[in-house]
Amino acid sequence: MPSDKAAPHKAANDFEPDAIVVGSGAAGGMAAWVLARAGIKVLVLEAGRDYDPVKENAMLKWNYQAPLRAGSTPDKHFGFYDATADGGWEIAGEPYTNAPGSVFKWWRSRMLGGRTNHWGRHVPRFGPYDFKSHSRDGLGMDWPISYDDMAPWYDRTEKIVGVSGANSGLENHPDSSPGVLQPPTPPRINELAIKAGANALGIPCVPSRYAVLTRDIPDDDVPRQACFYASPCGRGCAIGAAFQSTTSFLPLALATGKTRILTDAMVSRVVMGADGKAAGVEYFDRHTGAAHAIKARAVVLAASACETARLLLNSKDGGLANSSGQVGRNLVDTTGTNVSGHIPALENRPRYNEDGKDVAHLYIPWWLYKEQAAGKLDFPRGYHYEIGGRFHAPGAGSPAVGLEDGYGARLKEDARRYYGAQISLTVRGEMIPNADSYCELDPRVKDRFGLPVLRFHWKFSDHEYRQIAHGIATARAIIEKLGGTVLTPQLPPEEAIAVGGWIIHEVGTTRMGTSADNSVTDQYGRTWDVDNLVIADGGVFTSNAHKNPTLTIMALAWRSLDHLAARMRKGEV
Amino acid sequence: MSGKIDRRTTLAWVTAAAAGPWMQDAMAQNAMAPDAAQPGTWPNMELPPITARGYGSDPNLVDPTVPWPLTLSPAQRAMLKTIAGMMLPADGHSPSAASLAIDAFIDEWVSAPYPQQQADRALILPGLAWLDAECKARFGHDFAAAGEEERRAVFDDIAWRGREKQGYQTPARFFARLRGLMMAGFYSLPEGMKDIGYIGNAPSTEWPGPPQQALAHLDAGLLKLGLRPVR
Repeated sequence: MPSDKAAPHKAANDFEPDAIVVGSGAAGGMAAWVLARAGIKVLVLEAGRDYDPVKENAMLKWNYQAPLRAGSTPDKHFGFYDATADGGWEIAGEPYTNAPGSVFKWWRSRMLGGRTNHWGRHVPRFGPYDFKSHSRDGLGMDWPISYDDMAPWYDRTEKIVGVSGANSGLENHPDSSPGVLQPPTPPRINELAIKAGANALGIPCVPSRYAVLTRDIPDDDVPRQACFYASPCGRGCAIGAAFQSTTSFLPLALATGKTRILTDAMVSRVVMGADGKAAGVEYFDRHTGAAHAIKARAVVLAASACETARLLLNSKDGGLANSSGQVGRNLVDTTGTNVSGHIPALENRPRYNEDGKDVAHLYIPWWLYKEQAAGKLDFPRGYHYEIGGRFHAPGAGSPAVGLEDGYGARLKEDARRYYGAQISLTVRGEMIPNADSYCELDPRVKDRFGLPVLRFHWKFSDHEYRQIAHGIATARAIIEKLGGTVLTPQLPPEEAIAVGGWIIHEVGTTRMGTSADNSVTDQYGRTWDVDNLVIADGGVFTSNAHKNPTLTIMALAWRSLDHLAARMRKGEV
Repeated sequence: MSGKIDRRTTLAWVTAAAAGPWMQDAMAQNAMAPDAAQPGTWPNMELPPITARGYGSDPNLVDPTVPWPLTLSPAQRAMLKTIAGMMLPADGHSPSAASLAIDAFIDEWVSAPYPQQQADRALILPGLAWLDAECKARFGHDFAAAGEEERRAVFDDIAWRGREKQGYQTPARFFARLRGLMMAGFYSLPEGMKDIGYIGNAPSTEWPGPPQQALAHLDAGLLKLGLRPVR
């Protein structure tokens, strides 16, 4: 991306787009590229600043070169070098509120590429059960599409995104078609230890799938290189190995000559025409505060689930595209907690460069589908473990993670002994939509642009608490199987579960369904009420399997925008 | 205790006051505390809040700087340097932490305007004052004037998990936190990384996985636990 932070933006009046895409992250980047390669002129509006992932990142810098050894602060929650610019749990001048008794945290990035510059890049596929979960257990709502509808879109999304990993052949964990995945990376020592402990308990542990290249993706305009096995992915990836919109979709879209990107453009509302169709959008220039309007034949919302819901609610009294009353409803996150342990068998283990792909090379997928179907568990939906433990680059924490004792020569021995002898099992589970978890406009609070902000309501149910309790108990069993000591204090699930929003998998606020009665959009993200208004982000999720949502967001966006592009070419829009 | 302030107490305050002007408030409060300056008594300091700005949500990552001023006195820095040398002394693997500016790192940390760092400041600054007062109460002179054996005698009352001297829990918490910070500061430096054997952050075209020696170590450990090695 050309870096031009200080220059004020023109109102883009010299470019007449066919379609406007609001947002430039996983969904917005995909949407722009799909439309542009179909020959449709696209204007991408991004609320945050321009960002150059090559010039601005600190890939190989050492932790000691940064303030506080690069540790977490409220300014940079994921550490000093994290790629997130102008983002976090709070953004100055752009608040959100929690209803009394609710705790919901909302992570936002105000930068080109949005949250794809920093994300986990863990990309398991949803499986057949995940699209039809209501049919299995009577809870929530089925998607209007099946896994078979999605399978080809997963294949092509994995190819363009670049996913390294392996097929597992496990129940409800679909394989990719031959030739789609790039080769996996060998497991690290601690991952093998976890696998041994898990397998001894009948729990699978298989190669993970991450949006990190292990092979080059050549391209005349936007070449991407294979991982060079150094630097945390969260810092952003200048070589394009770790997927982000700013090194793939956006430059690919620009290379078509059909795309224009406007940063620092905070969209305030969708403008409607007299014909009942979207006529364009209005936005504020973040620097000047001036309002601008742009027209187009179609409007695509990809601002993130909650920001898109807010935009609809701010576009019309009672909410645009809200005849169902579902805008802002059905808000879910992924459930989360972490259990870590010290494994004496891993003390003083032989050193080697253990950076690898930075992400976990193995993964524990949900494995108790049959028990769940047979009613043997007291919670209906699954979880997975993201596993960890290795010779991390030392930073703002003790390398002996709190096991150190005393002082002097003994302490230095402790550091060598305990370094790299820990494992962690991070629970990521499915939350079921409930009537008490949603977002709406706060009746009083407005942001720096004068726009009403979101107020969140949040409540977990026993489904989530029991699932977390099971995840904690099983993680402890794996650690104990390895002769280890659990380091995480044992808390009841109500306290151990991460607060709403904390896992940054919030989806569902504009869900897709089978009719305008039960949903905001059809199976192509097209709003039931406004024919040329398409939602491409995670808002359209009907349910949120424990599997990290971004791959499915991108695959759905491709499917939806392909549909829109076909309709636009045929003159239907 | 009579409730009157004895000379030993006063001396402890005077010593602690050298740590900073905020001790004046603490002294007024301590005058109410009957057991002040008995060995082990934790000073009741009121620290002025750090008002400097942080680095913000969009700092320059390529050329990092610490924007807040350092706040520790030369005496506090000297104490930290001495402690660092005892905490992480030179051995065959790495030099002494006293030679690697760990006192400057602690100063950077406790001077930072963030909640965690401010909480650490509220533990570590009184902790340094406590060390002085404790040495004064026990040996008649402050930490700087104390000999190696005297310092070790104080450390040994607070440094070992589960063996803290009765009534010394807060000083022990101070020591544990300072130890954790000093280890973070030390092991993230090139000398510390070399010591514990972090050998990454080195770009390479291939990542071959664990070497045979590492796998053999793992397998031996698993077999001892009755677990089957896996690949």
